[in-house]
Amino acid sequence: MSGKPFVSLDNIGKRWNGQLGVEGITLAIEEGEFVALLGPSGCGKSTTLRLMAGLEIPDEGTIIIDGRDVTGASAAHRNLSMVFQSYALFPHLSVAENVMFGMKVRRVPKKERLEKMHNALEITGLHGLEDRKPGALSGGQRQRVALARAIVAGQKLCLMDEPLSNLDAKLRAAVRKDIKKLQSDLGITIVYVTHDQTEAMSMADKVVLMKDGLIQQIGTPEQLYSEPATTFVAEFVGAPPMALIEGAALEGFSKNQTLGIRAEHMEFVPTGGRLTCVVTDCEFLGAETFIGLSHERANGLTVKLEGKANMALGSLVDITFDNKNLHVFGPEGRRMKNT
Amino acid sequence: MSRYTKSFDTIGAVLLAIVWIAPLLFAVWAAVHSTSDAVNFRLTSPWTLDNFRTAWDGAPWAKYFLNTFILVTIVLIGQFIVTTLAGYAFAQVQFPGKDFAFLLVLLQLFILPEVLIVENYAMVSRLGLFDSILGIGMPYMASAFGIFLMRQAFKSVPIELDEAARIEGCSRLGILLKVYVPLAKPTYLAYALVSVSTHWNNFLWPLIVTNSPDTRPLTVGLSIFGAPENGVDISIISAATIMSVAPLLVAFLIFQRQFVQAFLRAGIK
Repeated sequence: MSGKPFVSLDNIGKRWNGQLGVEGITLAIEEGEFVALLGPSGCGKSTTLRLMAGLEIPDEGTIIIDGRDVTGASAAHRNLSMVFQSYALFPHLSVAENVMFGMKVRRVPKKERLEKMHNALEITGLHGLEDRKPGALSGGQRQRVALARAIVAGQKLCLMDEPLSNLDAKLRAAVRKDIKKLQSDLGITIVYVTHDQTEAMSMADKVVLMKDGLIQQIGTPEQLYSEPATTFVAEFVGAPPMALIEGAALEGFSKNQTLGIRAEHMEFVPTGGRLTCVVTDCEFLGAETFIGLSHERANGLTVKLEGKANMALGSLVDITFDNKNLHVFGPEGRRMKNT
Repeated sequence: MSRYTKSFDTIGAVLLAIVWIAPLLFAVWAAVHSTSDAVNFRLTSPWTLDNFRTAWDGAPWAKYFLNTFILVTIVLIGQFIVTTLAGYAFAQVQFPGKDFAFLLVLLQLFILPEVLIVENYAMVSRLGLFDSILGIGMPYMASAFGIFLMRQAFKSVPIELDEAARIEGCSRLGILLKVYVPLAKPTYLAYALVSVSTHWNNFLWPLIVTNSPDTRPLTVGLSIFGAPENGVDISIISAATIMSVAPLLVAFLIFQRQFVQAFLRAGIK
């Protein structure tokens, strides 16, 4: 591979009627990587994916896929596959025909087509449903047909646009594992758009967090969790997200700093804590309980307790934490060098 | 109160239905009786198929049937090609002046075809299509109604399907034929029914543009057959009329539901 990334986006920008779509997107993806584009709705993650797919053409910047400059190339010539949020199955074609659609268009010989189709249905567990129309399938099955269609062509790059958002929570967890397994079995590169940070964190090798058309941070899930680059990342990643405290509320920090702290790094003390807060919320999740707290100079304070815990709402409590667990953000919300 | 309204509705519907079907019923009645029996409504008089025999021998009906059949087929094929391409262009292709062009097409809906007869006549003559079946069908191929219908049908196709096909490597024409057209199948069927019935029944234009039995469709042939100078025999004319409308009538009975839906749909969308 000679060190060159498999997919690279260089300073991509796209606007609609002067309105911002995405700006300055620079991203390198290695072959075989699972990359998640994460962010709230309207952040430009889907636009980025569509730019990669060739469904939109960027106003500026270059896109290179597998060593070829495809910036202006049509979707058909980019050698990639895509899974849509709505699955985009052709309702007038059977499962088998849907899966073979692309191969038929590309004039793959019939024998090979059938072979590959059966193989793809085998992998996705759809055997016996070949002749069904998409309308006669459940949501989960449709989703798997869309997956089968994406993998059958054997393209090295697969783009997925929120493929799980139409499934119920239980199914979503199952399919998440399936996709991950598929990816490692086939060795394909996946770019995956989602607004669900759990999905991104649990599946991806690399997460690209976006906001307002700009990339906020690129890193492994672990990096995003433990070294958020901005306060936005801190508040977006993790369940519960990081609490942010005004610098002035604590001794030894300046007024224009913001401090971040995770739920697992705080504890209650009987007296003499660093902050005195009001209990606002008790969320019991089985193995742990999250106690939501409010403080006038902090946002999103949550303390994690093991097992079941009960605290009277409205009562005053003292919390403390170690300085080494604090994340320090500068005036613009950017992370300051680890002190 | 509502019970009265309801029965009033029913009575009204039945009444209207009788008024509508009466001419047809009379034609059937007249066709199977001798003229004097028919006009005097002798209910017990014997039935006969002689009228059909006489009518059939009186004009080259087989040729007329064939002409009409070829005519509606040619018109339908032409309309499918034109309306599919135009409908797709108006629905999914971006080009400058699109809205204005579509407005012009819609304007065509407001103009009765009869108004254009002279202009069409001149045009068909210029093209050397006078007194030919293609000449009868040509002016109707770029149907504004059809273009509008197809545009609506193609607009309702989810854009993701288009995009999915594009990623799978489909060309634009391929997408049109493999994705849009199959998904618009109900619209095609509905439109075909409307088109066939319209052109099967069309009279004025074919009358003007044809002048030989080789090209005349049924309607024109029937009117010449029934013209006063041939002597008016109501039973024989009725028999000829029944023959002319029979194929359409049978088709209507078979496709009744789609037929009604076609008009309803065209109104709603």
